[in-house]
Amino acid sequence: MAESDYQLLDRYAAGDETAFEELIKRHQKTIYNLAYRMLENHADAADLAQRTFVQAFLHHQNFKRESSFRTWLYQIGMNLCRNAIRDRARRVHEDVQELELADSQDIFAEVAGAELKDRLGRAIRTLPTRQKEALVLRVYHDHAFAEIGTIMSCSEGTAKANYHHAVDKLRRALVSGEG
Amino acid sequence: MTMTCHESKELTVPYLELDLEPSRIRDVTAHLDGCAGCRTEMEAVRQVLVRVKGVAVPDPGDRFWNEFPDKVRQALARERPPIPSGLRKGMAGWPMALAASVLLLVGAWSLKGMFAQGPAPSQPRAVAQAPRAAEPELPQFAEADWHEFWDEDPDMALVEMAAGLDRQAVDRLFGDI
Repeated sequence: MAESDYQLLDRYAAGDETAFEELIKRHQKTIYNLAYRMLENHADAADLAQRTFVQAFLHHQNFKRESSFRTWLYQIGMNLCRNAIRDRARRVHEDVQELELADSQDIFAEVAGAELKDRLGRAIRTLPTRQKEALVLRVYHDHAFAEIGTIMSCSEGTAKANYHHAVDKLRRALVSGEG
Repeated sequence: MTMTCHESKELTVPYLELDLEPSRIRDVTAHLDGCAGCRTEMEAVRQVLVRVKGVAVPDPGDRFWNEFPDKVRQALARERPPIPSGLRKGMAGWPMALAASVLLLVGAWSLKGMFAQGPAPSQPRAVAQAPRAAEPELPQFAEADWHEFWDEDPDMALVEMAAGLDRQAVDRLFGDI
């Protein structure tokens, strides 16, 4: 039977390097995917996923085990994403053209229909950060709203409201472009 | 109970997410059966979710995943200040602190002795030429005072005595130059 994350953490705290590697391998794809959905390019997602694990292992003694280790990683990752988006917004404010270049690598390149892709991509990119967080956690990571609330440090109701607003904005963005 | 179009639209997302009580799901379904506008609205939202969900994250490849733990390990090592080998687990810090304290005391005692002796012998001319009044005064002890000083701190008494002898020797050697 596979060891739980808590058991691996205990082994890591005792100096077992194999537990460190096992924990990372177990969650690296999840955290990278989260970062990619939020930041929309490989370089930033790879960097952020790495920083998420570094923070987790640096501060593992502060982890109170009131949630799963995975949820804790999500919390750290989402906080770092929020900061990265804030920093990016500052940079974009300074150089709007840079944003246009970044658009070319967005995750919607594979969506059929260039116009629809652009509208959907723009709509998601312009969502308020909290709404985008709820959308990503619900649609791509299949979290229950209670867990989304834990990750976003808000109530389940707030998580639901953010998600509903996000979907509604996307719907309006698509409908408004039709016809 | 009949549902209004406004109520139906409010429940579109929870309906699609099956995040409603069964009775509410039945109400919305009944409304959609009789309202083409709300059906269109519902379908639009469903399409949005399908399209959003259909977007995949490109896999960076096996090499990236295999190297990832090592990259985290290296980044973690950069973040963590190195622990001196003498302070690793098993080595208590107090012997180091004690040794440092002893060194400090010895250093302070030596400095006190140096200042009490006046200028270094390598600068005899300056000592001889400087006006007497400007020289730092050494404590002048009467015979009785020396005993008292000796009782209080014999080490410092010796230092003061040595300093006095040195100065007299310097005066004899260089006083006429």
